[in-house]
Amino acid sequence: MKNIHGESFDVQLEEENSTILFKGALRLCGTEDYAPILDMLKETLTSPAMRIVLDLRELDFLNSSGITMLSRFVMEARDRPGIDLQVLASEAVPWHARSLRNLQRLMPGLSIRLT
Amino acid sequence: MMMSETLDKYGERAGDCEYLTLAFSPISAPLRSRWRNNGLSADFLGDYVTTFLPANGALPASGRRQNEVKHAVTYIANELLENAMKYHQPDVDIPIRIRLELASDHIAVSVSNGASLVQAGRYKAFVEHLQEGDVDDLLLRQQEESARSSESTMSSLGLLTMISDYEAQLDWRFDIHPTQPECITVTTSAVLPLKGVPGASA
Repeated sequence: MKNIHGESFDVQLEEENSTILFKGALRLCGTEDYAPILDMLKETLTSPAMRIVLDLRELDFLNSSGITMLSRFVMEARDRPGIDLQVLASEAVPWHARSLRNLQRLMPGLSIRLT
Repeated sequence: MMMSETLDKYGERAGDCEYLTLAFSPISAPLRSRWRNNGLSADFLGDYVTTFLPANGALPASGRRQNEVKHAVTYIANELLENAMKYHQPDVDIPIRIRLELASDHIAVSVSNGASLVQAGRYKAFVEHLQEGDVDDLLLRQQEESARSSESTMSSLGLLTMISDYEAQLDWRFDIHPTQPECITVTTSAVLPLKGVPGASA
């Protein structure tokens, strides 16, 4: 298990089931600061047979630079054949219903489970 | 940081509005150490709005709706502050200001910062581009472009998400500094009409 955390957030990669868990509020300053998290996300793309899960249910806040980071990852996943990407989202977190559909526009095969 | 209720550029509506203004002198600390302050200020404004909403009487005391409005204000305030901090002209005697306006039918968040003529010109060109285009198409294109990395397109993604995802109405002002004509005060305002707050019952 790998982990990146800051004052207000925590991101965890569970390699065995290709799941990335996000918690808290992410408002880092631009591409450079998001690079370590993006690199961790990309590690999942090396095993395309598996389903990759982004669990955002406890990610209460994400700034637009963070949305860009997710967009970037989704586009990388889209450009590799055979990647099955699922996003877990929560109805209780307002930004999920508002902004995640933009990721689906980038990758129509992306599944979003809003619970 | 100072607080006041007196910034009155749009003062003619003072009778039915409540204001809150925060001002920062960005030269006093480097960008990276100020960054945390964006989030703290944005969270504060979002929380502040929730205490105002039930007292307004125009809204049902629905926790879900309150949460939606709170989040929209926090997101918008955070994005506008991040942009202002990134693009503020440090050698100009203009503070970065964020102003929250609460009225019976809308909430407005305005942020102003100092810019050089060149920067202000670039921003103005982007604004014109934004006003002419289809926001959803622009958003998709900006996502593709900013994914290929450039800080300037990332900032416009923030504005586009405000319009597309939060249904904010954006407005801009470019004012020449009274004593430094080579400097412009750039003000970006985002208005959330309360009836149209997404997630609220119609």
